Amino acid sequence: MQPIKLLKSQLYSEDPGAGRPADPILQGGRCRCGYVFFPMQVYGCERCGSRGNALTPQPLSTRGTLLASALVHLHADKSRPAPFTIVKVALDDGPVVRTLLADDSCDIVPGQRMTAKLVSLQRDDGETVFDLRFVAAG
Amino acid sequence: MARTLNELRPVYVVGIGWHRYQNPGETPYVALGLTAIREALADARIEWPAVESSYVATALLGMASGRQMLRHLGASGAPLVHIENASASGSTAFRHACIEVASGISDVALAIGVDKRNPVRRSDTGIDHLADDAIVPFTHFALLTNEYASRHRVPVDDIARVAVKNHRNGAKNPNAQRQQERTLAEVLGGKKVSGSLTALQCTPVGEGAAAVIVASDEGIRRHGINPDRAVRVTASVGRSERVYPPGVGFDAALTRETVELALAEAKRSAHELDIIELHDAFTVEELHYIESIGLCPEGHGIAMLKEGALDIGGRCAVNPSGGLIAMGHPIGPTGVGQIGEIVMQLRGEAGPRQHRDALVGLAHMVGVGAVCYVHILERCR
Repeated sequence: MQPIKLLKSQLYSEDPGAGRPADPILQGGRCRCGYVFFPMQVYGCERCGSRGNALTPQPLSTRGTLLASALVHLHADKSRPAPFTIVKVALDDGPVVRTLLADDSCDIVPGQRMTAKLVSLQRDDGETVFDLRFVAAG
Repeated sequence: MARTLNELRPVYVVGIGWHRYQNPGETPYVALGLTAIREALADARIEWPAVESSYVATALLGMASGRQMLRHLGASGAPLVHIENASASGSTAFRHACIEVASGISDVALAIGVDKRNPVRRSDTGIDHLADDAIVPFTHFALLTNEYASRHRVPVDDIARVAVKNHRNGAKNPNAQRQQERTLAEVLGGKKVSGSLTALQCTPVGEGAAAVIVASDEGIRRHGINPDRAVRVTASVGRSERVYPPGVGFDAALTRETVELALAEAKRSAHELDIIELHDAFTVEELHYIESIGLCPEGHGIAMLKEGALDIGGRCAVNPSGGLIAMGHPIGPTGVGQIGEIVMQLRGEAGPRQHRDALVGLAHMVGVGAVCYVHILERCR
């Protein structure tokens, strides 16, 4: 089977496992000092300044707790037509991430459990790509 | 051993001026800036050649715009530098003008903020994000509004009351971009922007200018400036964001640590503050920051607001100018304009906006969350 095309493959990937598309994992990083961050980068640790071998890739689960959400009514960038919902999720693995909710009609409240899935999008050139979006955890 | 500004020689604000903050228009930035500088010179009763150094705060005008403005005052050959530090550009320019005078390098210096609304260009860091292009400032603060309301179990409609107070103050300020009182119903009924934020709960970015002249005792003597109208700068602190525990709001955490340093430098406590001008680009920010400053415990900001404690004439007048929500936020000028408002209040020259017996004022700005600048000013006795 062909791998699916991801919109931002440097930020997330398919967790090898059941179903297509599979559940995503986030491409985070960990520093020798113990700091876990997202996304992975090699410039240097934001907490202690270490670089090089001190920084290693660390796959992160998308499971976490909702801190906040906002239904965006106005957005100047035409490539992101409003309305859409932004969620802020504290991952169980440490970092706090912000991105889109898969379904705007989904009723969510701070404190509830969240997870992410890969959602298919139609690009302008007609190609189908998958992007990571959050959903309420079942 | 490093020293604070307050341990160097005394610095005073001796002149303030504005070009009204307004909706984007055809006025060239040169005209905006010159209006503010000439008003500040007239306020100090000095002439342009007395200014030994200029700090030009601008975020959106492009490279080296200051010289094209200052040359019309008579090119004196004095040094000038441009400062860009996001929303805190003006506060940063003010700090460096103060440092120059406090150090003894100059006796009289100018901080001038001037801007027009131009597209914001952010450089590519080489690190991608999930959807940062979808999270503009009003959505960042819509998320914080949702979080604040949920954590402290307060209705979002109460958070909007910050806008009612600040529009009321702005209505009395001839330099404010928005000069109209608004009811809570008007604030809540306006155009929806993001989350529970409506247009009247968000700053209107426009254009304008603000200028402040600072001087040493020597500068005041040499130029015959009236010392009774001079306002002393007793603290100046700049900080940048650190790594905070997950879920801790960095804007508020950074504000807390910056204010703590400033209060210690001025040997003051939060309860001694009569005036606060703070970065209320969005309503929820005022609650976060008064709590970070220490006016009240976390989650108690709404109660203070509702009992009128933050009004002009209340326990501490917060954003008597109208704040960013009503006075406006033309970026470069904003932090300089805050200093001007506090100086007016401490001199007792704020007219219908005057807060009684104002002795101590604090100015606070954050810049894209990442930097925070705090100044404390005091009436000379």
